[in-house]
Amino acid sequence: MKNKNYTLSPILYSLNIGWLYPDLMSTYGDRGNIMVLSKRCEWRGIDVKIRNLNEGFDEKLLKGIDILFMGGAQDIQQQIVSRDFSSKKIASLKRKIEDGTPGLYVCGAYQFLGKYYKEVNGTKIKGLGILDLFTENPGEGNERFIGNVIIQANGLWQMANSKKTISNTPYAKRYVVGFENHGGRTYLGKNLKPFGQVVRGFGNNDMDKTEGAIYKNSIGTYLHGPILPKNPEIADFLIKRALEIKYGEKIKLEKLDDSLSQKTRKSVLQKIISF
Amino acid sequence: MNLFLILFGKIFIFLSSFLNLGSGSTWPGHIALSINENFLKDTLAKRKFKIILVAGTNGKTTTSKLIKDILEKSGKRVFKNESGANLINGVASSIINNSDMLEKLNYDFAIFEIDENTLPILLQSVSADFIICLNLFRDQLDRYGEVNTISEKWKKAFWKLPKKTKLIFNADDPQIAALGRDVKLNAYYFGLDEKPHYKNLQHASDSIYCPLCNSRLSYETIYFSHLGKWKCESCEYSRPDLYISKLGKYPLPGTYNKYNALGAVLVARLLKIDAKQINIALKEFTPAFGRQEIVEYKNKKIQIFLSKNPASFNQSLSAINELKAKHLLLVLNDRIPDGRDISWIWDVDFEDNLKNFKRISVSGDRVYDMALRIKYSENGKWQMANGKSEIKIYENLKEAVEKVISNISKDEILYVLPTYSAMLDLRKILTGKSIL
Repeated sequence: MKNKNYTLSPILYSLNIGWLYPDLMSTYGDRGNIMVLSKRCEWRGIDVKIRNLNEGFDEKLLKGIDILFMGGAQDIQQQIVSRDFSSKKIASLKRKIEDGTPGLYVCGAYQFLGKYYKEVNGTKIKGLGILDLFTENPGEGNERFIGNVIIQANGLWQMANSKKTISNTPYAKRYVVGFENHGGRTYLGKNLKPFGQVVRGFGNNDMDKTEGAIYKNSIGTYLHGPILPKNPEIADFLIKRALEIKYGEKIKLEKLDDSLSQKTRKSVLQKIISF
Repeated sequence: MNLFLILFGKIFIFLSSFLNLGSGSTWPGHIALSINENFLKDTLAKRKFKIILVAGTNGKTTTSKLIKDILEKSGKRVFKNESGANLINGVASSIINNSDMLEKLNYDFAIFEIDENTLPILLQSVSADFIICLNLFRDQLDRYGEVNTISEKWKKAFWKLPKKTKLIFNADDPQIAALGRDVKLNAYYFGLDEKPHYKNLQHASDSIYCPLCNSRLSYETIYFSHLGKWKCESCEYSRPDLYISKLGKYPLPGTYNKYNALGAVLVARLLKIDAKQINIALKEFTPAFGRQEIVEYKNKKIQIFLSKNPASFNQSLSAINELKAKHLLLVLNDRIPDGRDISWIWDVDFEDNLKNFKRISVSGDRVYDMALRIKYSENGKWQMANGKSEIKIYENLKEAVEKVISNISKDEILYVLPTYSAMLDLRKILTGKSIL
């Protein structure tokens, strides 16, 4: 008997995920983001390869990358990465981002994309200058922003689903939950859109209620947690965009069972709200 | 004044344990310190005993219990602070608890296990005879900050140490070994000389760059995380020579416990304790609360492996796999003593370590986060052994324990890997008593 739903699922699509500095920029469970991206591809029959772009990597490798990821780090590690970012490398990465390569840049990596990071002692560390933002650490006496965060990721939902407005996005899906831990305050340039609005927590600077930044298909954010397991819509946004860019066609991703992710997000939302 | 604080504290401890409110291991000290901030300096000034401090991310409790057992076996009188009560108030409480009614501490040794952030603070008022530095791993980044930050604080505190203080370092941890450079004559190193346990560095490796010149280290052998026989090709700094690297028999399973035992035995040797007595103490060693401790509950055996950060979690998983564990309960909390940020569970290598279990259950305040982590670790191998990859989720810990235990036979063991506060909750369920 023929099963109507039976489809052969040959591997049609493939994606290369480029993990920038996994040895250096990988604190706070950042690896979870890579796991989620790769599993969600795997579960859909998308052939996925993780390319580790470690210290000294050849910038030509960036060409073949479909999704970029970079995490946070300690100060010393950031210095090593900074040393490794030659002007050629910066130019290649800038081209990728400008061309719309989807990417997720968390915490230290997000700050890195900006113009500069001003340390406690006043020294300015040059950033990659790809996004119109800067970060300043106000120094001792000012609290570090630590804790659970809820944001409403308007920018993302508008981009991912131009027809759907926020009001008809299901309640729980409107919110992105995570954990932030940063001393620096980030300020966005006029034309740079925030990734979301802070509902609970600090976000970019605790003043303007913005969190992160979104530029073309790149997302910069302070959210650890890591961000993707509890917010799989963001992972799917990156995967979908990457496929569309690579294959030049409209892609509709197969739906996955995300009930556990939803439950986890809900339990965190309840926990934070009841605080 | 201090006598009053001690007497008051003693009454407090008595009432607290009498009413089963915990053993009073922090509050009496807290009160004493808030009335007299020099309480430690005052009470320890005229001491005749030696002080041994044990610091590091993982292994403090086991190592200090090992030292205590060895010293007691050789007839010494020893007191230590309660496991986990490792801030200044815990040290003060142990002084209150162990002083006699005349404000005297009749002991030969005091052993204090000390929180990473507290060590530099304690050293401002206490002069130690020995300091053991076990390791530094990423742990509770929301509270401690990053590994480099802590080692930097320790380094500065060690500059001011008196000449008599002997420092004992785990040479296999590059960040720890480098601390010995500033205290040359008084530095003693332990480490392992075995076949490598891993071919490649594990994901949760923090200090793989040279502590002197920031170049990538190369490893001749890796034991776990960033611990191993390392060398910097660029500035030629390498693992220091070891005073001790092997014991005939180790008291507990797991590579991490080899390091704990080596550190403890090195102290004992420096104190010229008889080798025979050391061996007997190691042989008779019983684990501390929650550190591979076995508890009987409703005629079933439950073994608790405190697992509080990626390095300790990975070590627990590999140790219970060596023990051929079949039943696993993971308990994840995010209270202050656990760290509020649970991101670290994604740095634990569940991937290679779950395939041999018959049943995996999860519980704790962040039960769904743990379940989600396991979901994404799902690999073909584990699915095959299990038939399905479904894990059991219990919001309530007591229910988890009851249900899981009812499903195992008498000769099987339930292995529980809890975070710190989850371990305390679990012990309360199993024994009906609070520890802290």
